[in-house]
Amino acid sequence: MPALRNLWYLALATYIEGIRHKALWAIVCLAIVLTMANVFVAQLFTWDLGKVSVEFGLSAVSLTGLLLVFFLGMKIMADDLERNRISLIMSRPVAGWHYIVGKFFGLGVILLTAALILGGGAVLSMWYVTWQFPAYVPPQFSWLVYGMALGSQWLGLMMMLAVSMLCFSFASQPFVALLLAVSTYFLGQNMELLRRVVVENAHAGILIGQEKVVVALSWVFPNLSLFDKKAVAAYGLAFSGQEFGLLVLYCLTYSALLLFFAVQLFKRKELA
Amino acid sequence: MTHPAININCVSKIFGSGRKRNRVLHDISLAVSRGEVFGFLGPNGAGKSTTIKLLLHFLRPDSGSLRVLGHLVGQEEFRHRIGYLSEFPFFYDHLTARETLLLSGRLSGMNKASLQKRIPLLLERMNLSTAIDRLVGGFSKGMKQRLGMANSLIHDPELLIFDEPMSGLDPLGRHLIKGLIAELRSQGKTVFFSSHILSDIEDLCDRIGIIHRGRLLYYGGLAEFVAGGAHLEERFVEVIEEADHACPA
Repeated sequence: MPALRNLWYLALATYIEGIRHKALWAIVCLAIVLTMANVFVAQLFTWDLGKVSVEFGLSAVSLTGLLLVFFLGMKIMADDLERNRISLIMSRPVAGWHYIVGKFFGLGVILLTAALILGGGAVLSMWYVTWQFPAYVPPQFSWLVYGMALGSQWLGLMMMLAVSMLCFSFASQPFVALLLAVSTYFLGQNMELLRRVVVENAHAGILIGQEKVVVALSWVFPNLSLFDKKAVAAYGLAFSGQEFGLLVLYCLTYSALLLFFAVQLFKRKELA
Repeated sequence: MTHPAININCVSKIFGSGRKRNRVLHDISLAVSRGEVFGFLGPNGAGKSTTIKLLLHFLRPDSGSLRVLGHLVGQEEFRHRIGYLSEFPFFYDHLTARETLLLSGRLSGMNKASLQKRIPLLLERMNLSTAIDRLVGGFSKGMKQRLGMANSLIHDPELLIFDEPMSGLDPLGRHLIKGLIAELRSQGKTVFFSSHILSDIEDLCDRIGIIHRGRLLYYGGLAEFVAGGAHLEERFVEVIEEADHACPA
């Protein structure tokens, strides 16, 4: 199975390269400090201590993941092209899709490692709150929902990673790829809100009559707001296993589609 | 029937379009026989690296075709049978020399057991055995060049394509690489390498090709090129100047 072997070794090399990178540990250390500071910051909001603590912990995971996608993942990809490291790989019997998918898996596991470390920190700080200040813990708080909210954050980050791979595969410059990925992130965060405003509001200004366009765009751009479950975890709202399963399915299909397009574009790219 | 190791047939390459259109190769044709050491000479920007990138399918020709070991480039897989050293070998800074060679060997289809035996031997041959478990990011330029050479040889390929293999090497490093190319020739391997260091070409090559501004000016035996006792450098300059006079930039 040469394809599986290639995928495995490309993912492993990417993971090792990323995990030994100082940038990764600088970002993770910053996030751990933030997560631990969470306990003290949350005490400033005594009336909502539990909720603030949950939101703070999940935000740290999300922010760190985004920094890793944009500044570590995309840097590794850009260095491959700019420093011609890609010739090390592509002068071997490696297909374009091995390269793109192998990189995606390697970077995805880096994100998972970071999410586990930070998630562990967030869980510890939340556990401290439940132990020291049980009166302030939201009445419906559930560790299961908290865990699923953490999982959702990681799924959203994987989708952003797939977006980055697509941008990287067609952009002529790494900076352009970064700009496109960041813009897509902001659009993805707000697309659902825009869709609701236009579809459910009869006073949507210049967007009146453009409902179909906005709905179509909301299908094209990643709907990242779906993966933001901070409020759900903080207020103990309902978050079923079925909904989580649908999120996993959405992430898998959308990422697979983006990777497919990334591979098609990468095949046409000349490695000058 | 034995195919030539490399067969380049009427290849042209254009970069850019409109006003930025730049034709960097003009109908290049040449063949390299199996078992020979072929030197590809030319001044900076002549089109040597572009030709090599076309051979590896990093670039696509605008016209013409290329065959490597009988396989049509871009259509059939042959890369497990070739070793490539780029002009500026860059590696993953946070992998060790051993891990780098293991990655390349595995991607070329070698098994782990044979790689575990071959890696220390190759690194010893390249005077890098003390750096085997050091991160490549800390290597000097010369060390990276030697690691690049080991990397191109890791899977014992039949054809080696080196782009400026001596660049950035000190005299000891150059001596090492020249010895290695001579050794590869004695093993019956085909070596295609580009260089603008004429003394290296003179010492190592059976046949040469001279390229200037994307046009192949000479292609044939080294002995024939320097017939009459002329030095390679004198003949090389003469051919380039003739081309410049015939077709000024």
